[in-house]
Amino acid sequence: MASVVPTPRIAAIWFLPVLAIALLFAAVIATRPPLAGDPAVTLVLERILLWHSLVPRFVTALLCGAALGLSGALLQRVLRNPIADPSTLGIASGAQLALTIATAYAPALIAFSREGVAFGGGIAAVTIVLALSWRRGLDPVTVVLSGMVLSLVAAALSATVILAKGEYVLSLFIWGAGSLNQQSWDAAIALGPRLILGCIAAALLLRPLALLGLDDSGARSLGLALHSARFLVLAIAVWLAATVTAEVGVIGFVGLAAPALARFAGARRMRDVLIASPFIGAILLSLTDSAVQLLGSGTADLAPTGAATALLGGPILLWMLRRVPLTIPPQANLPHGPLRRIARPWLAAAGLALVAALLAILALVAGRGPDGWNLATGSLFLDLLPFRAPRIVAAGTAGAMLGAAGTLMQRLTANPLAGPEVLGVSAGGGVGLAVMLMLTPGMEPLHLLLGAVAGSLAVILAMLLLASRPGFGPTRLLLAGVAMGALCMAIVSTVLAQGDMRSYALLLWMSGSTNRVGDFEAWTGVVACLALISPLFLFSRWLDILPLGEGMSGSIGLSRRASRLTLATFAAVLTGLASLLIGPLSLIGLIAPHLARLAGFAHGRHQLAAAVLIGCATMVLADWLSRVVAFPYQVPVGLFAALIGGPYLIWLLSRAGPHHG
Amino acid sequence: MSPTCLFTRRHALALLAGVAAASPAQAAALRVATVDWAVLETLLALGVTPVAATELLQFREVAVEPEVPAGVADLGLRGTVNFEMLRLARPDLIFSSSFYVSSEPRMRRIAPLESFSIYARGVQPFAASETMTRAIGERLGVSEAAERYLAETHAEFATLRAKLGRLDGRPVIPINLGDARHFRVFGADSMFGEALARLGIANAWTEATSYSAMAPVGLEALARVPEAWIVLIPPVPPDAMRILAGSVFWNALPNVRQGRLLTLGSINPYGALPAARRFARLLTEALGHAGASGRG
Repeated sequence: MASVVPTPRIAAIWFLPVLAIALLFAAVIATRPPLAGDPAVTLVLERILLWHSLVPRFVTALLCGAALGLSGALLQRVLRNPIADPSTLGIASGAQLALTIATAYAPALIAFSREGVAFGGGIAAVTIVLALSWRRGLDPVTVVLSGMVLSLVAAALSATVILAKGEYVLSLFIWGAGSLNQQSWDAAIALGPRLILGCIAAALLLRPLALLGLDDSGARSLGLALHSARFLVLAIAVWLAATVTAEVGVIGFVGLAAPALARFAGARRMRDVLIASPFIGAILLSLTDSAVQLLGSGTADLAPTGAATALLGGPILLWMLRRVPLTIPPQANLPHGPLRRIARPWLAAAGLALVAALLAILALVAGRGPDGWNLATGSLFLDLLPFRAPRIVAAGTAGAMLGAAGTLMQRLTANPLAGPEVLGVSAGGGVGLAVMLMLTPGMEPLHLLLGAVAGSLAVILAMLLLASRPGFGPTRLLLAGVAMGALCMAIVSTVLAQGDMRSYALLLWMSGSTNRVGDFEAWTGVVACLALISPLFLFSRWLDILPLGEGMSGSIGLSRRASRLTLATFAAVLTGLASLLIGPLSLIGLIAPHLARLAGFAHGRHQLAAAVLIGCATMVLADWLSRVVAFPYQVPVGLFAALIGGPYLIWLLSRAGPHHG
Repeated sequence: MSPTCLFTRRHALALLAGVAAASPAQAAALRVATVDWAVLETLLALGVTPVAATELLQFREVAVEPEVPAGVADLGLRGTVNFEMLRLARPDLIFSSSFYVSSEPRMRRIAPLESFSIYARGVQPFAASETMTRAIGERLGVSEAAERYLAETHAEFATLRAKLGRLDGRPVIPINLGDARHFRVFGADSMFGEALARLGIANAWTEATSYSAMAPVGLEALARVPEAWIVLIPPVPPDAMRILAGSVFWNALPNVRQGRLLTLGSINPYGALPAARRFARLLTEALGHAGASGRG
């Protein structure tokens, strides 16, 4: 790799951070509580602790940071995407899911090669993400959205595997957030040569990499086998990130922040970014790791390092948004051509209502018992009713509320990919829930409800505030939502890492289980549906006018600010209530309005009605399936819906459309 | 609320309990179900076969004993109890624990419910388990079996304590490896910690833990307990021992170098007296086998 020209200014830029990490590391060593006991024994142990735990940890942090920084820089270059990194592309979650599944069901694979398993998972994730955005020319927004949705689904799957294996606390902790504790040089020895290989490969690919910055046509005319060069660079980046995940767990967003900071510090040419990113990544991770050790108790860290970096990642991503080139937003791709319109929408809606009712009856009557499948009638029906009815009602009403909230958000942002889950509003509800669990002693349903609603409201107001800033188009709003969601989930996973009753309650919430739902929650759902969804039909004129654009709605004489704020508040309250019932991952709020639109419900009020009914019917069906699929063991319904919703969303993103770039 | 009022209420409750205990003949035929594992092992130890209990597949693997008879219905995961299955098992009485507070109203619809809290802040799990064993015995009209089991437990602990007294008297640190770099440690407020105290062995982990275990602790913390026996509670992750075998740090630990490392059979860390006895028995056996008396 070519060396940086040592001008005084560059020397000053590098000197301060290096001094900072050295000082912090010295502080970590100096503040360790001394070992007690026989000095002859402790002297040897102190030396071993220093050379086989503290120093390797320091070196591992530097190496992991550098590997992630390089991986991020390579990914951003090869995908021409300033917000690509191992976390936003789903590589880290994919690797971690593979490790979780292998640990639970195929321990022999783990014993054979952790790194291999992690690489397999990472490659699978990135392949899915890229294959799906291939036809959209690897458009940055599509790639990152697919990656983040994939991460969500992977997180839900991991949570379920952990719940199913019972001994959740410890494995969850190691799954959720990377920890850099070391007692040997193994991780450093594994990472060092791989990092050097990665650097050499990057240096060799410097020229092709520079060409990758050009248009496909420009690069091809220069005689470069574009796809193979891309694939090679991509494989190196994934391998680096997967190795880090296999050695220390998920360390979020360092790969995103390092190249961004490099560009911020003035690196313009690709060569400079590639050289600076690993250094900045190393410094970032080292600073974070020393900080969690210094703020911890001496034997235990304050928080896992991976959780701490994830907390930094959200704000950095938000700050980065201004640098994302405004490509054609994904909706340009969605159903083009004249949409089929239903001739008699209210009749069709009545049909949907009938389907929902039939599904509810099926769910009430059909089930499995100790002796196999049965239809509950008579006294058996009355026996089971108190247990089946609340969960069916809760699932159905939550689906309806999410359908309504999704319609509002899609209309508000004029973006058919907006939804309570994608915009981070559901995850915001989770943060509210977590705060309530920390602050209040009992787990009072009413407190949890208020917490979830307040959290959702805070996120949606932040989103609207961002969206109201000049030049903040629908595309940036989506990304801001994704960033906000990542930030909120990082806070949630820090609470999860506490490993006590509250973590258990949060884990159950995250997987979205309706099993724990009782009469209170069911009635909450019913009342909320009636009180919050029916008034929306009064605003249906706003729904039709708002998406027309600012100029138009202004000239029609609609107070834009007031109408937006009203609708957004409704959407937030609906989302908060629904996510309390079925968790943050269902993706129903995205799918239901979409299906309604595809089915031909074009007007605001028709789409709203159809989305509510579709959301309701889908969740009732998902709840029933989750109840009977593995009887008597139950799959959390939120996860079950995410397994339907995730692939649908990704398919939606990948739909062929006009190429650009 | 005035103190007198509290007193009379307690009085009334005690009276009710007395009435309930006074009809053992009727109670003996009760169909009981439990959603909590600590109750499950206590029931089985008292010779009561419940009609239904949670997560039996995992229980047989983790808790191992007492053996669960084939006829017991599985209620699904502990985290998501299958209430329909519980209803269909038609219990007359359901035992629960503090982990299930939010589900209690629903379970009360099926049958009367009694809840115990063994693992909670400020609760000593061993004493709480003794109280629970007695309470279950009285409630089900098997007080004799309960008293016998408590006496057996005390006798077994006395025997084991005497055996251990002849050994080296070093402290023990009971841990559960999370991976090759982290462990979960069981402190003084855990069942293992309490069992150690009753065996006359010091727990080498003296820092505070919450809800009985603290996780995760970096493996380097083991350097602070060089004198102790490291006692591994399964599950041991598949690659951890292989990685540790090659670790300079691990092999430099005086405990490991001098062979003070034991792996016990699987034990439920959130169990009741049967789990405490299993831990005490397995630990004593393992220490005896390791020749703890020979070193020191």
